[in-house]
Amino acid sequence: MTNQSLQKALSYREALNKAMHDAMAASDKVLLFGQGVNDHKGIFGTTSGLADKFGAQRLIEVPLAEEGMTGICIGAALNGAYPINIHIRADFVLLAMNQIINLAAKYKYMFGGLFDIPMMIRLVIGRSWGQGAQHSQSLQSLFAHIPGLTVIMPASSGAIVDSYAHAVQKHRGTVISFEHRLMYDLTFERDHEPEVLGKTPFSQRRVRAGTDVTIVSTSIMSLEARRAADWLADRGISCDVIDLHCVSHIDHDVIMKSVGRTGRLLVADTSWLPYGVSAEICRIVCQNDPGALKAPVVSLGMAPAPCPTAKALEDIYYPNLTTLTDSIATLVRGKNHGIDLPHERSMADVYKRFKGPF
Amino acid sequence: MTAPSASLLSADLSLSLYKTLYMTRRCEETIVRIYPEDNMKTPMHMSMGQEAVSVGVCRAIGGNGDVIASYRSHATYLAQTEDHGSFFGELHGRTNGTADGKSGSMHLADIPKGMLGSTGIVSAGIPVAMGAAFANKQKSPGRVAAAFFGDGATDEGVFWETLNASCAMKLPMMFVCEDNDLAVHTRKSERQGFNSLVEVVRKYKCDVYEDDTNDVESIYALTRKAIEKMISSGQPAFLNIKTYRYLEPCGTMQDSDAPYRRAEEDAYWKGRDCVALQRKRLLASGLAEKDLLKVEGDINAAIEKSVAAAKAAPHPGADLLSYGVFYETP
Ligand SMILES: Cc1ncc(C[n+]2csc(CCOP(=O)(O)OP(=O)(O)O)c2C)c(N)n1
Repeated sequence: MTNQSLQKALSYREALNKAMHDAMAASDKVLLFGQGVNDHKGIFGTTSGLADKFGAQRLIEVPLAEEGMTGICIGAALNGAYPINIHIRADFVLLAMNQIINLAAKYKYMFGGLFDIPMMIRLVIGRSWGQGAQHSQSLQSLFAHIPGLTVIMPASSGAIVDSYAHAVQKHRGTVISFEHRLMYDLTFERDHEPEVLGKTPFSQRRVRAGTDVTIVSTSIMSLEARRAADWLADRGISCDVIDLHCVSHIDHDVIMKSVGRTGRLLVADTSWLPYGVSAEICRIVCQNDPGALKAPVVSLGMAPAPCPTAKALEDIYYPNLTTLTDSIATLVRGKNHGIDLPHERSMADVYKRFKGPF
Repeated sequence: MTAPSASLLSADLSLSLYKTLYMTRRCEETIVRIYPEDNMKTPMHMSMGQEAVSVGVCRAIGGNGDVIASYRSHATYLAQTEDHGSFFGELHGRTNGTADGKSGSMHLADIPKGMLGSTGIVSAGIPVAMGAAFANKQKSPGRVAAAFFGDGATDEGVFWETLNASCAMKLPMMFVCEDNDLAVHTRKSERQGFNSLVEVVRKYKCDVYEDDTNDVESIYALTRKAIEKMISSGQPAFLNIKTYRYLEPCGTMQDSDAPYRRAEEDAYWKGRDCVALQRKRLLASGLAEKDLLKVEGDINAAIEKSVAAAKAAPHPGADLLSYGVFYETP
């Protein structure tokens, strides 16, 4: 599947604005709900200009009432609207878990399939420096755990434009999208878009093909995996990098085919490891063919703690390019791999300076 | 500049309130000055303009109570603890901070001094303060608890749940609404389906107080009255204190020309700046300016010392990364 809708290089932020624009243009049923959708900052610029074009009545500035507003979106969706509910930090949606998990995820099933809840919840992972315990969390596995929800983590401008169009125009269920703030200013080139490994834009993607090790990654860790793979390619290690993209619906074949070829698996997620994406990928491999692995799985994610604010700790809280590259090299060649490593301790610093293109 | 009324408080107390106000303001002015150095890697939600609320209320509590602040925590923390050493340590992410540098600006606490924390989730601290009031009623009669929150937090369900529960349970719980009319860039009128929060809250079984003076002495006196009534009646108190945020919602910059700002409002509030107002009152009461300058100079010097100490303090080591995660091994 190729990327038809993305015509040129776009930053992640521009892609989000375009996706919101296209959705509103495609159907007047699309309504944007959120704190700040209509202010002069426009959700980091992703809703800017839309009120002028489509009318302020379609960009609804809401009270601080996360649970209530989620229920309101569900009701609107039941009644023909396509609500897009936006939270500038994923952490704030925790106030709305009841409506999402007890209602949105179950409404269709509980009523014998009578209803669809077509809506999207956009959540920003606030990671940058200093965001701390309550403004930086990556909560994808909480939602992906729940039958009835579709959880995506777009890791490129193309992934945003295509997946959001698919969500709004084709998908009939509730989509939870995690956007990563460190990617907002990165530019992605159309030619470099990962290959989509399935039938819809929600499918998994191949960032890079390789033979020595499979790297399954999410969100910004897919970019890190690509950078690590580029580094290692020059040093004789060939990585097969899969961007999971849709963490709730994983095509087992995609994972198993890759692991079958490489015999080695590293999972690089943006969140904690226990009960998370890494655990799920391991489940898939163990259930399908545990013999496919030549070595124990390695998984990288956040340290098992709330996020500390101090830069000195934050830099070791998250994996970085050095630890990722080292882990891959160790998995393939063993502890004494002798491969020189890139020296990069802080991902946040890198992405603040580096703008792409990817 | 509005002229302050003559003080009804003792000269010592007037001066002491001023010192805390000035210290709080000066700490934040220092943040504004040194933030660009990039040594404080934490978002900043500045109290500047709103300090009289925290200073007046915390002084009225006078150590006999516990408080919880919102993420706009600087003034409340400084007023409750008077400790800018730990404050700057924390903002610098160093081990001499309130939490070894792990919490940053949004989560300041000092339990012995009755500062039970501040949270980055709007309204989340309100029920926690009620819990503190509940415990105080059981174990330390006469001790109160206060939640500081913005008018935006009153949009949230948990505010109403807590208001209802504390009234029903008759707790020594003080609701302190720092009413700056704004949640980020959005006015109350766009978010709230009623005209007056105070009128709504009056229907609850609590005592309601209002202030729109930006005058630390009025706020102090009002809070004293509220606490005394709360202790005698056993009912919660609700204080709605009108105030004004000078800087951007998050960050250390001015945003006076942002579209949501109103020039008249800006001029009105800056014309009754709480620090300037109290300073003027002290001068009018006969305090010599040179004495006041000396007081201010001492505070400035102490703050510079705290900043220098923070910069010199160690960064937290890797061993602290997982310290305090509940429960490491059950
Ligand atoms: C539950 C939750 N929703 C949204 C936010 C984002 N947010 C941070 S500050 C703020 C406005 C709060 O306004 P108010 O309570 O009046 O306090 P003020 O900032 O004016 O002091 C919002 C919406 C948040 N931190 N938590």
